[in-house]
Amino acid sequence: MYKRFPASSYMEYVILFIFIILIFSIFKLQIIEGEKYKNIAEKNIVRIQTIYPTRGEIYDRKYRPIVLNKPSYNLYIIPGKITEKESVSEFVSDYFDKGIDEIMKIIHENRYRSYQEILLIQDIPFEKMTIISEQLNYYPSLLFKAEKVRKYFYANHFTGYTGRITEDEYEKLRNEGYSINSNIGKTGLEKYYEDILRGENGQQVLQVDAGGNNLEFFKHNLQTSPQNGDDLILTIDNDLQEYVSSIFPKNKKGSIVVMNIKTGGILAYVSKPDFDPNLFTGGISAKQWDNIITDPNKPMLDRVIHGTYPPGSVYKPIMASLGLEEKVIDSKTKLAKCDGGMWFGNRYFKCWYAKGHGRLAVENAIKYSCDVFFYDLSTRFTLEQLNEYNTLNHLSTRTGIDLPGERKGFFPTRKWYIDNYGKFVGILGHKVNLSIGQGEILVTPLQICAYYSAIGNDGVWKQPHLLDKRIEAENTYKNIVEEKHLPMSDKTLKLIQNSLYKIVNERYGTGTAASVSGIKVYGKTGSAENHMGKKTHSWFSGYAKCDKFEIGFNVFIENGGHGGSVSAPIAQKFISYYYGIIE
Amino acid sequence: MKKFEWMIFGLLILLMFIGLISIYTASSTKIGDDFIFSNYYIKQFIWVIISMLILFLLLKTPNAVIEISIFPVYIITILLLILVLFLPEIKGSHRWFSLGPVNFQPSELAKLFTILAISKLISKPFLSDGQILLRSFIVTTVPVILIILEPDLGTALTFFVILFSILIVSDLPKFYLILIISPILSIVFSFSIWIFIIYLLSLIYILYRYNLDKVTIGFVAVINTFLFIITPIFWNNLKDYQQNRILTFINPMRDPFGAGYQIIQSKIAIGSGGIFGKGFLLGTQKNLNFLPEHHTDFIFSVIGEEFGFFGCTFFLLIYFLFLYKIAKSIRKIKRKEYLFVSVGILAYITFQFFINIGMNLGIVPTTGIPLPFISYGGSNLLINVSAIGLILKYLKERSIFA
Repeated sequence: MYKRFPASSYMEYVILFIFIILIFSIFKLQIIEGEKYKNIAEKNIVRIQTIYPTRGEIYDRKYRPIVLNKPSYNLYIIPGKITEKESVSEFVSDYFDKGIDEIMKIIHENRYRSYQEILLIQDIPFEKMTIISEQLNYYPSLLFKAEKVRKYFYANHFTGYTGRITEDEYEKLRNEGYSINSNIGKTGLEKYYEDILRGENGQQVLQVDAGGNNLEFFKHNLQTSPQNGDDLILTIDNDLQEYVSSIFPKNKKGSIVVMNIKTGGILAYVSKPDFDPNLFTGGISAKQWDNIITDPNKPMLDRVIHGTYPPGSVYKPIMASLGLEEKVIDSKTKLAKCDGGMWFGNRYFKCWYAKGHGRLAVENAIKYSCDVFFYDLSTRFTLEQLNEYNTLNHLSTRTGIDLPGERKGFFPTRKWYIDNYGKFVGILGHKVNLSIGQGEILVTPLQICAYYSAIGNDGVWKQPHLLDKRIEAENTYKNIVEEKHLPMSDKTLKLIQNSLYKIVNERYGTGTAASVSGIKVYGKTGSAENHMGKKTHSWFSGYAKCDKFEIGFNVFIENGGHGGSVSAPIAQKFISYYYGIIE
Repeated sequence: MKKFEWMIFGLLILLMFIGLISIYTASSTKIGDDFIFSNYYIKQFIWVIISMLILFLLLKTPNAVIEISIFPVYIITILLLILVLFLPEIKGSHRWFSLGPVNFQPSELAKLFTILAISKLISKPFLSDGQILLRSFIVTTVPVILIILEPDLGTALTFFVILFSILIVSDLPKFYLILIISPILSIVFSFSIWIFIIYLLSLIYILYRYNLDKVTIGFVAVINTFLFIITPIFWNNLKDYQQNRILTFINPMRDPFGAGYQIIQSKIAIGSGGIFGKGFLLGTQKNLNFLPEHHTDFIFSVIGEEFGFFGCTFFLLIYFLFLYKIAKSIRKIKRKEYLFVSVGILAYITFQFFINIGMNLGIVPTTGIPLPFISYGGSNLLINVSAIGLILKYLKERSIFA
């Protein structure tokens, strides 16, 4: 009942036509031009080469180098050209500090990247390279390349270091231009500013045969240029950094930070013990890594932002300002009498000064660092009030410094005590302890430095930072930092500043060891008891003003002893040094 | 009379088997004297089994069930095509749903159900020419626009091939086909006023010979002239990257770091295969991993490199027999709707076959279309086998409706 559709036979002709075209094209490609393509294939003539950008360098505030790129010879292997895995691994391990299995493992991991060059050894001395080069005829899979590696000018914790990309990182970042041989920022500024420092890859098509003739498969767009990374100019002052590092007590642990109170820019950033980031540039050997990791002094730990400690007495100004702001006390109010301590219920809380301070008003309580005054003060507040005020002063929150992995610190809440000590925990005793910066409270030395700098900057808290500006190809970008106000009135601020001045500059002050003639030094000592050792953590925090500079600082020595006798003299040294060198 | 087309079925199995062997060698890498395999061929084998089950299920499914499902599934597919645009990009476009280990392209499903929908709509009796044109155009244009947005120009083009192949066998007078193609040619010829004028005059002459009335011819002439004028303006208003995308689609060699590079590497691999090839698993270009996609879009380069001219000819002959046998058999289908479906399916498989191998040989511009039944890819295989299953079903049942 339907008619036939003669048009339906057109597909047969189309299919026949297509078949003939394809057979003809294959004939042309494989038989007529077969030899030409065989030649191209054998010699790998046509391929894409990635052109890697130069990583941005890092300088101090006076454009003196901190991290530079230096030329280096690197050894690569091409898995697809390996004739015998064992012999090539043995050859390489003979010359370098790498085991045969380590090299076999690299080959195995990269077995699918058969035509790619895989980085084996970085930063090979020139003499060694020439010796090995003579034998490379026997190992066609190996080749040398002249490239660049990082050179770090001094041991420190803020630059961090770069290292070979790991398999996991590569899987995540392969679409962002990283190759399996890329170096990537692992810690510190190298990691934090990775995107800026790295730049962008370029590419190049190679299509020149052995006779030097251009094959001309592609006529245009044969190259995209790489974009080099931006250089970073830091706020660090290399002179001060090196000086502070050199006066740090030998064989002690701890950290010293100095910052510009007007800008928040960090001038010196020292954590001890430290390590040489150059160890990592050539790919650290398993043994070296093991040494660093098992060292009980933890040289890799950045004690400025990764270590958290009880602040001890340097916390007292915060308690004092809370009392003044909440009008619980005024400048004349005298609290409980100190006879070397004070009873709370059935427990006696000692003052550090066994003979007792008597009854003090707030200014002298800070000056003499009387514990009893603050014990008594804390009883007028709830734990939640203490916690909230602590946070308002930017403690137990990250300062936002431009470094990865900054710790927050800690201030307990009622819930925390109940969860950890049970329902019937006595909050009062803990509160009393917290008021002098002891107990569960933990801060980073940087948080304390930022707080004291803010006091010195008339209550304006500046985000601590290391980057001043970055030099782009066309422009210079100035780093923009956050600023906040400390939660206190001018009157309270003046009182605190006054007390800090008396500590350093009046008789019987706890910090007189830090006084420098001609400079107004303000500061507070702290000797925090802790579970890490018998001796107290030694703190000295404050700021110094003169016609040349206004700097905030924090000196922290782990189990160093008393703040006034250990940390304050160190502050005295670098303040006078800085006064001497600054123009 | 019920007769199952064993030859088509047998060739289908043979093609999938060749596919498995090719994927096996494409997923191997040689290091020193050792071979290392990734598991693509195992996954593909599982998909072959699943596809065969679906095929048998399809043969047993009553026609009524398929008929009822056509429009609902078509609508769902359109919704999926909309949804996929809002998903994050994979490899620079919004084509895929990522369901755990399986990547599913809704445009695959859209192809099959667009064919079914067009065929059903235009095979109803007593339709005017205008109705046939309007219905088939609307059903095709909606998915095409969505697929262009992904963007996937290659697949979008496939839809026009499908539409055109069906309209050729429909009752539509042939001059309509000229009318359909004419705007496309106008756009192509818009680069030169003289070529366009010659083209326009020949078009008018041909339509005149078909005895079309002067009003219609005049209308066509105006439309085409309008397109000639508007195309350069439209082109200049495109963003740089959009222009680049279209130019690279037409000439992949513009992109030495992407499509162009892959095509050159494919040509080197196939060309270096020579007469006899380098032998199973022994392709040097394949082993050097120059082509990242050599188990999918560029699988023919592996066949060409390892099996040489003889292997390629043998492979193309089998593929040719398969397509040719289908083309010959479906002429016997007497129910219009089924004929249209079969022609549409055959046309798109033939088209993809041609485009994919042509691209591997560097004679066809576009990229991004897999080789049906051979390339690695589960959802693609499933849809293609189901489509052949439909043809087998119609062939088997043709006598009932005769």
